[in-house]
Amino acid sequence: MRVIMQTVWMLFSAGLLSVWSLQACASVEIQSWQTSQGSKVMFVAAPELPMLDIEVVFDAGSARDGDQWGLASMTASLLGTKTPELNEEQISQQINALGAKMGGGVDRDMASYSMRTLTRESILKPALKLFSATLTEAQFDSQIFERERQRLLVGLRQQQKDPGALARNTFWEALYGDHPYAHPISGTPQSVAALKLDDLRAFYQRYFVSANATISIVGNVERKQAEVIAEQLLKGLPKGEKPPALPQPKALQKAEKRVIEFDSSQTYYRHGQIAVERGHPDYYALFLGNHLLGGSGFGSLLMEEVREKRGLVYSVGSGMAPLKVPGPWLAYLSTKNDSANEAAQVVNETLEAFMKRIDDTHFQAIKDNLIGGFPLRIDSNGKIIGYLSMIGFYGLPLDYLKQFPKIIASLSKEQVLQAWKKHIHPDKMVTVMVGQPK
Amino acid sequence: MKRIAKIGLIGCITLGTLLSLPAWAGKVSEFQLDNGMKVLVKEDHRAPVVVQQVWYRVGSTYEPVGHTGLSHMLEHMMFKGTKTLPPGRFSKIVSQLGGQENAFTSANYTAYYQVVGKQNLETVMKLEADRMRNLVIDEAEFKKEREVVTEERRWRLEDKPRSKLNEQFNATAFLNSPARNPVIGWMTDIRSYEVEDLREWYRKWYAPNNATLVVVGDVQPQQVLALAKKYYGHYQPEAIPELKPQREIEQEGLRRIELKGNTQVPSVQMGFHVPSLVTAENPREVYALAVLSSILDGGESSRLPQSLVRDQQIAAGVSSGYNATDRLNTLFELSGTPANGQTVDALEKALLAEIEKLKTTPVSQAELERVWAMDEADHVYYRDSIQSQAMILGSLVSVGLPADTLDHWIENIRSVTPEEIMAVAKKYLHRDNLTIATLYPDGKGPRKIKPYTGRL
Repeated sequence: MRVIMQTVWMLFSAGLLSVWSLQACASVEIQSWQTSQGSKVMFVAAPELPMLDIEVVFDAGSARDGDQWGLASMTASLLGTKTPELNEEQISQQINALGAKMGGGVDRDMASYSMRTLTRESILKPALKLFSATLTEAQFDSQIFERERQRLLVGLRQQQKDPGALARNTFWEALYGDHPYAHPISGTPQSVAALKLDDLRAFYQRYFVSANATISIVGNVERKQAEVIAEQLLKGLPKGEKPPALPQPKALQKAEKRVIEFDSSQTYYRHGQIAVERGHPDYYALFLGNHLLGGSGFGSLLMEEVREKRGLVYSVGSGMAPLKVPGPWLAYLSTKNDSANEAAQVVNETLEAFMKRIDDTHFQAIKDNLIGGFPLRIDSNGKIIGYLSMIGFYGLPLDYLKQFPKIIASLSKEQVLQAWKKHIHPDKMVTVMVGQPK
Repeated sequence: MKRIAKIGLIGCITLGTLLSLPAWAGKVSEFQLDNGMKVLVKEDHRAPVVVQQVWYRVGSTYEPVGHTGLSHMLEHMMFKGTKTLPPGRFSKIVSQLGGQENAFTSANYTAYYQVVGKQNLETVMKLEADRMRNLVIDEAEFKKEREVVTEERRWRLEDKPRSKLNEQFNATAFLNSPARNPVIGWMTDIRSYEVEDLREWYRKWYAPNNATLVVVGDVQPQQVLALAKKYYGHYQPEAIPELKPQREIEQEGLRRIELKGNTQVPSVQMGFHVPSLVTAENPREVYALAVLSSILDGGESSRLPQSLVRDQQIAAGVSSGYNATDRLNTLFELSGTPANGQTVDALEKALLAEIEKLKTTPVSQAELERVWAMDEADHVYYRDSIQSQAMILGSLVSVGLPADTLDHWIENIRSVTPEEIMAVAKKYLHRDNLTIATLYPDGKGPRKIKPYTGRL
């Protein structure tokens, strides 16, 4: 493969629509309503394939761990292992026998659960019932808990020998200090070892409530049917309430560099700062600028400078992760230890030059990329449901996808530079290097 | 972390996950240009988007000793300019169209693709056709890109002990077959490529009669054919070299290697030599092996996660895999990581015990039905992505299998009997046909650093 995109950043860079493509493209018509229990529903009808995607997102990410790091992640991993009616083996047998796919994941902001199923009546009905039961009637079994904890510990121990993971964890920690975003999503071996089953039960009761859920539906059902599905899905949960807002993180006051010596052939480098939250009015300008700087693979300046001109790396780029409260912007790469400082220097120079002046040709090319590439971002149910969850969870306007390209098209170079100068401070960044940088 | 991910240089497409062909599933139109280039078109009008892929029948199993990774290196050079296009320009143009593009190399093929708005199909076809015959491999660009590929190897292999284990496992399981070659190439081979090696590899394999064009999306087959004729049709066919069979010798006893690496957790990888759909004398054996693989590791309720992870709690993660569509004889693989407090030896024994069970007890009807249900559903799900649809077509045709292999896959899978599964288990999954590779921690703490010598 010529280039591997870091999926996490692809996900975060998503969210655009083109003024041109409006004629060419069947745009996504999002419908939204509340269930009687207060869950927000996001729906797009997609009758072409006989299948349905559902995703349920709770504000129950690792930022809600408190000082019990790994709590959200561990709780999430026990959902789907037991209900009052079904044991673990019965659940997995039923899912597989229906040909349904169920999965879940936790990031800093959210715990999300998804199901993909065929819409044939004999399959859809039991699949929905099963999905609903795993979410609303979760039972926490001590033996399963212990087993899953041990499995997680194997993974966490392995991470301590993974230079890429070390760089990631160190970067968040250096950036966020004592903020709830600082610790690793899955916790640490020590924090996971200290978790108790009752902690998981309490976390589930507190956060897995209807008012704290967003339900997204894409597929071969009509609005009326989607309303019934959404209403039934979380019926078993108490209404509850949303958790309080997260604290605002504090920006760094000066540059900080952390070097972790590690026996690896490459140095893993991360360089960045806290930027903006999802929904911030300057996000569009920052996003457009980042797309040019390092967010669009071979269309971006970092790729040109560090890889194409100098052959220093295989992968290099930059990304923004806007979250509920300001998330990071960062540049990343990995290179043989002997080139680490040189590559870091090129990143700094490229960022500095970019913030001084943006070339007209480059600026037009990157706008064309975003606008012309929009139809590709919504060409499958799997992609569309990702946007629904994002728009729903972060409370973005329903016409977000329609507005985004218009705003992108309207931005001037000066506005982009202004936003960057306002939010991005190259003299106050965290630099992490794991390896033996020279 | 429900399951520990499998290791591989590029994602493999397992036919075992796909099934029958209902009305909405879309027909494939097949053409051949006068110069021998194959053209496959599949309509999917859900979005105004199209993917173009060009597949060359060349990959790491085509490479002679000392030249491993050459196909992959050439893949990188394909972005470095033609007689009329300066280096890097290709990607800039696709980017400005709002397109996504990339390329990938495997044991069996090298492929290039662009996903674009349908109005841009002609533009990317013109570009792709240009580099089929007009590539310029400049010495300075080549040297720089060779550095990039060494960085890619470091990133993918050198700091990832499990990937390294996989590479060495493969080179142990295969002694004389080129299936032993790492796709990215051994570091010493990468370092000693000369610019002329790349030029020669390009001349040898990049010709219309060694390529397949696959287009899936919001298009009409006749319109694609007309474009293909216009842009690819005027190239002359070339004499494509015939490969020697290099058939892997019969294995006559267990092979075993150990690797010590920078890891805290040991792991094991095992493989038995088996035929693929391309090489099998009796294709029913392939279908039986595919079902057997799903019985072991198709979904959470399958035997390996049920028995080894949840019931016996010997494994933290475990998997099996079988690439039924490799060009050459392939491996039926098992791999896993022991649970906390368990040894890698115990895990190895438990994995082999699951294999023994398959030889003595017929699989149940319920297990077979589960495999069918999952395959049928997957066959609908993969249609959500035009890229997946194109990948399957290209990968089949590039190893010499018919494009409609998939259409018949389901009925073939459904006809597999418990007796046939027992028979292939007995015939292939035995000790004398087995290679085992084990990764052990090297015991060094992260702070006790030895100078990295590269061990290249």
